[in-house]
Amino acid sequence: MLRPGYAYRESPVHDRDPRVKLIAVIALSIIIFKVNFFGLLVVSMITLVISLLGRLSLRSVLKTVYPVLPFFILLFLMYIFFTPGRPIPPFPIGLLQISYEGLNLGILQIWKFLLLVVAAAILTMTTSQSGITMGLERLLRPVRIVGISSHDIAMLISLALRFMPTLLDEMNSISQAQLSRGANFNPRRLSGKIRAIGYLAIPLAVNVFRRCDELVDAMEARGYQPGHRTYLHELALSLLDYWLIVGIIAALVLVVIV
Amino acid sequence: MKNLIRVHNLTHAYEKSRQPALKEINLLIDQGEYIAIIGPNGCGKTTLIRHFNALLIPTSGEVQVDEFPTNDPKRLLEIRRRVGMAFQNADNQIVGMSVEEDVAFGPGNLGLPTQEVRRRVDQALAIVGLTAMRSHSPHSLSGGQKHLLALAGLLAMEPKVIVLDEPTASLDPEARTMVLKLLRELNSRGICIVHVTHSMEEAALAERVLVMDKGELVADGSPDQILNRVSWLKSLGLAPPIITELMWRLQENGLNVSSSVFTIDAAIEEITSLLEQLRGSSQASLTREGDENA
Repeated sequence: MLRPGYAYRESPVHDRDPRVKLIAVIALSIIIFKVNFFGLLVVSMITLVISLLGRLSLRSVLKTVYPVLPFFILLFLMYIFFTPGRPIPPFPIGLLQISYEGLNLGILQIWKFLLLVVAAAILTMTTSQSGITMGLERLLRPVRIVGISSHDIAMLISLALRFMPTLLDEMNSISQAQLSRGANFNPRRLSGKIRAIGYLAIPLAVNVFRRCDELVDAMEARGYQPGHRTYLHELALSLLDYWLIVGIIAALVLVVIV
Repeated sequence: MKNLIRVHNLTHAYEKSRQPALKEINLLIDQGEYIAIIGPNGCGKTTLIRHFNALLIPTSGEVQVDEFPTNDPKRLLEIRRRVGMAFQNADNQIVGMSVEEDVAFGPGNLGLPTQEVRRRVDQALAIVGLTAMRSHSPHSLSGGQKHLLALAGLLAMEPKVIVLDEPTASLDPEARTMVLKLLRELNSRGICIVHVTHSMEEAALAERVLVMDKGELVADGSPDQILNRVSWLKSLGLAPPIITELMWRLQENGLNVSSSVFTIDAAIEEITSLLEQLRGSSQASLTREGDENA
C-alpha cells in the first residue's frame, strides 16, 4: 500500500523525466473534465497505450482501483437515482427512478474518476518516489517568488516518505505493548473506540517528537541549512521530453479553449 | 603537530540557576588520534562532544575547530564538514529514501556538483561495504547496517574527525565487531576518532583515554595508564575490563603478573609465562631436594 508497486523496468515510460509524467497527469485531470464521450474514449486509449509502453500488466494497474471502488459505486448509484430526466421503462417504481440522463452522466463521471486513478497509478508505478519528489522540486522552483523554497518542500516530502514505514513499525509495537497491558482495541462502544485511539496516538506522538529532536540534531550535524542544496540525481530533460511537454500543453490549451 | 580541536576553559550550563554540566574543561585533540571518552552516566560526555561540532555553544570559554571558533555562526558549515557526528540511534540519523540518497545528503548540503556528490557517495559506500545495497530502502537494513550507513553519510563529508556517541550500545556482538573494525580502519586512513563508550573493552582499543566525572576531566592518558587503575575506576562507578580485573586480583594475591592487560590474547601470554616461571622454580626446588637426599 505504501509503495504502490514501483519497480524499475526498461521502458520508454519509466525513462521519461518525472516532470513530463507529472505535467501529463495534471493536464489529464483538467482535460477529462472538459471533453465529451468521444474525447474520453481517445484519452482512455492514450492511457492504455502508455501503460502498454510502460510494460505494466493491466491487472496490476486495475488492482490500484479496488480500494476506491466502493466509493465509486456509491457515487454511481447517486448519479443514476438522483438525476432528473426521462425515466427508463420499468421505472418509476414508486419513488425510485432511473433516467437516461442519469445513466449517461453516471457512466461518464465514474469513467473520468477511474481514469484519474489509473493515471496516478501509472505515474507511481513507473516513477520512483525520489523521482517524483525531485520532479516536484523542479516544477515548484517558481514558488520562490513568494518566498517558499522548493528544496524545503522536497525535503519535507522525502522525510515523510522515509519515516512512514518506521512509524508504522512503531505503531505496531505500541499497539502490542498496550495489548499486553490489557488495553482493549475492539470495544463495542464509541467511547471505547475513541479511548483506543488515545492509547495509540498519544505514545506515538510523543515518540515522533523525540525522534524529531534527534533528527534535527543529526541533520544539523550533517550541515543541513534551509534553502539551496544539490542532489545525487539531477534531472535532465531530453529532446523527446521537451517535445512531449510542448505536446501535452498544446493539447491542454486546445481542449480548454475550443 | 597542529591541533584539530582546542577546548579552552569550557564551561556549559543548560540552565543558569543549575549546576553547570561542564566545568572549566581544557583539552587539545590532534589530527589522526584515536580517543575514547569514558565516565559514568550524567558526567557530561555527551555535552562535551556536542561542543565539538557546534551543536552546543560554550556558556563560557571557547572551542575551536581548525582555528574556527564554534560560536561564530558564519563558520558553522566549515566546522560541520570537518567534524562528523554519529549518534546513538542510527535510525533517527537516516534521512534519505534510499541508501545512496542518504549518503548524498551531506555533500548535497555542502552544495557540491552532482558528479562530485556521486564520487563521494560511491567511495563512502565502498569503505563501509554497503555498495551492494545502494538502492535499498534504509528501512530494510539491519541495526548494524544502519550504523554503517550513518558512518558512510559522515564519510561522504570527508571529515577530519568523527565523533561517536555510544555507537555500539544497541548492537549484537557481530555488528559491534563490524563497527569497531571500521573505526580502526578509518583511523588508519588518518581520520581522528572520538569514541564515547561505556565499554572498557572498547576504550582499550583507543590510543588515548579521557575519563570524565561530574562535568570535569579527571584523567587523560594511554589505556596502559588508566584502565589498570582498577580500584579507582570502581570508585567512579566504572567497571574495568573483566580480563584486567582478573589480572589485578591475581596481582593482589601476590602473583607476579602485570595488570595492564586488556585483551584475552595478552592475558594468555601473561599467564603462560607465569606458569612457565612456576614450573621452572618448582623443578629447581625438586632438583635441590634430590641433591640434599643424595
